[in-house]
Amino acid sequence: MVAHILKLKLTLLRNGFRRSVWQLVGVIVGSLYALGMVALLIVATWFTADLQWLGYISVLVSALVVLGWALIPPLLTGVDLTLEPQRFVHFGINQKVLGRALILAGFVSIPAVITLLGMIGFSVLWRLEGPILLLGLLANLATALLAVLACQYLTIQATALRSKRRFREASFAVLFLLLVSIGPIFGALTSAATTIEEWISPVAQVLSYTPFGTLGAVAPAAVEGNWALALLHLGYGLAVLGLLYWLLVRATAKAVVTAPAPQRAASAKGLGPFKWMPATPAGAVAARAMVYWFKDPRYALSVIMVPMLPVIFYFAGSQAESYAMMYLLGPLFGILLGFSISADVSYDNTAFSLHVLTGVSGRDDRLGRLLACVTISIVPIILGAILPGLLNGQNWRVPGDLGLSLGAFLVALAVSSVVSARYTYAVPLPGDNPLKTPPGNGMRVALTQLATFGGMGVLLLPVGVPYLIGLLGQSTMLGWVTLAAGLLYGGILLVVGIRLGGRWMDNRLPELMQAVMLNR
Amino acid sequence: MRLGNVGGMNTSALSIRSLAKQFGPKVAVNDVSLEVPAGSFFGLVGPNGAGKTTMLSMATGLLRPDAGSALVHGIDVWAQPQQAKALMGVLADGVRQFDRLTGRQLVTYSGLLRGMDKDEVATRTEDLLRVMDLGEDGDKLVVDYSAGMTKKISLATAMIHSPQLLVLDEPFEAVDPVSAANIRDILGEYVKFGGTVIVSSHVMDLVQRMCSHVAVIAGGVLRASGTVDEVRDGMSLEERFVDLVGGRGESGGLSWLRTSSN
Repeated sequence: MVAHILKLKLTLLRNGFRRSVWQLVGVIVGSLYALGMVALLIVATWFTADLQWLGYISVLVSALVVLGWALIPPLLTGVDLTLEPQRFVHFGINQKVLGRALILAGFVSIPAVITLLGMIGFSVLWRLEGPILLLGLLANLATALLAVLACQYLTIQATALRSKRRFREASFAVLFLLLVSIGPIFGALTSAATTIEEWISPVAQVLSYTPFGTLGAVAPAAVEGNWALALLHLGYGLAVLGLLYWLLVRATAKAVVTAPAPQRAASAKGLGPFKWMPATPAGAVAARAMVYWFKDPRYALSVIMVPMLPVIFYFAGSQAESYAMMYLLGPLFGILLGFSISADVSYDNTAFSLHVLTGVSGRDDRLGRLLACVTISIVPIILGAILPGLLNGQNWRVPGDLGLSLGAFLVALAVSSVVSARYTYAVPLPGDNPLKTPPGNGMRVALTQLATFGGMGVLLLPVGVPYLIGLLGQSTMLGWVTLAAGLLYGGILLVVGIRLGGRWMDNRLPELMQAVMLNR
Repeated sequence: MRLGNVGGMNTSALSIRSLAKQFGPKVAVNDVSLEVPAGSFFGLVGPNGAGKTTMLSMATGLLRPDAGSALVHGIDVWAQPQQAKALMGVLADGVRQFDRLTGRQLVTYSGLLRGMDKDEVATRTEDLLRVMDLGEDGDKLVVDYSAGMTKKISLATAMIHSPQLLVLDEPFEAVDPVSAANIRDILGEYVKFGGTVIVSSHVMDLVQRMCSHVAVIAGGVLRASGTVDEVRDGMSLEERFVDLVGGRGESGGLSWLRTSSN
């Protein structure tokens, strides 16, 4: 039975690659990259003779590997759940056997193999220490096992929660916030300490007593001759590993016989934005888009960026002791928020058929989507444009900043309105994990987006030139010119964008529909 | 509902003329011509992959045909798409809805997209939710609906503008028997007052009982069309269908699927 399931997993892996050659290429490149990183790390430690340091590195790497496996796949990227225990409900396989088989199958994956290889390779840290090399190898292998088991256990636990939509959407938001704040937190930590050792030492010390880092502390303790401590860490780590295995077998067995829990349906009273938006086709499209900006996590990513960027810039600035980056907020909000509707039709997926079937005009479609974006974005953009100048007492540059920001926003909206009427690409499906990129057309997405951003940059020149000259000469006068140019020129471009995008859309409606049908 | 026969009795509600579509080497619809008389309850039947959905997609503006044309009450779907679409209500098969909206919002959206008056949309939305038995679920997100409920809400979005022609691709799939009966009543009533309905279905029995006319399509080719009685020619529709389409297994059954032989 175990062999059957392992074979099934291998077949699935192979067939997955057969579906897309590019995915295979991506995996190979990714694997080489990961192995390269491991190799670099090994080379870097090769010449480190300081045992103290080797100890820190050993603990940190172990803890990172385990934590990374425990957190990222279950909550963020999602795991390949083709072998999720619930799928075996109908087969009536002995639970204990199935549990063991599924755990083993979890190791038949590229990341698991790379982790195993990497951790084995990483043991060369202790190549000069004779028999301790063997102990380090054992501890590292146990670490890799621990990492994969932790991932599997948390995945099963998270799957139960995951089936609830709310949790799925909240978990990604929390993790996203965590990810972007790692940099600032790290920065604050390092700037508080004067030397690297000052912060690395306590961090490693603490980690070595957690289940994540304890196995990494085995070899360092032994090298120091503290065999009692080494045994303690080893015993602790192996106990955690054993406990996790036991929990996992139990959880797998339980998951096999548990039907997925029914979820509580979400509701919204009344009509929401449909009530107060104008009762025209364009108004309706705008109201619909507004609901999506707040209810669909794929749009929520853009919304979250608004509070996050200032925080990141603030922390980055506090380290560089210059807050000049804050002046970028307005233009960045403008470009990025304007750009965020460029994949609108792709996000609709086949729900776009409603627009095709009702015969809504391309102009109304474009106008509505952009109205929603403007309604949501305009206040953050204006605040992001004028507040840095005002708060820094640089009132002279406020008109210019505002002009560039609004100009950037209008140009971005214009370009997006044209692009989303013409190009669709594979985006995460409605309801999917918003960070999951569908494989297969990375190149096309990258090219389209690069061209889109490039187009925006070129089109923004008439606003950017007076802005830059004004900035260098500290001229408020040119700032006002920038503002006037931004509004007028941006406005004209926007009208052209809506017209052109609308006409393209009218002409290619069925082709657009067929294009979104490909991605499902 | 306010309905009428634009252009008198002799026009077809839907007139399909030599429609053809090819996907790569596979011919999905091969030169199909079909007249759907105004005021008829028209069943479109065919085995899986026969080209039903492809043909209906081309007739409703979702898929551009390689050749041929489709006219709704004399208006060419591909020459005057907006006018033609205003006359049609379509339930497409295998497409999503804007499912982050509530049921009420979705139906409202469909009405407003067609440029209807706000108050009229509000009244009709409540009516539609009521007859579809969705009155209590109107504030739930469509993503949380069951398959049958989703079908019903989609049907509501297709009917809000009181179209003259309803094109329904597999409308009864996953719908519970009570709701199906309700929907049949609504459609029957609609036809009685001059509307035209086209349904595609696999369920011959249903088509035989419900429809006045039927067309059989297989392998992208029209095999038969006319009134139900003409087409079934004394047999049951199911027998006649199998007759026309062929493909009943002659390769022998599963000899081992006999519990007694074990």
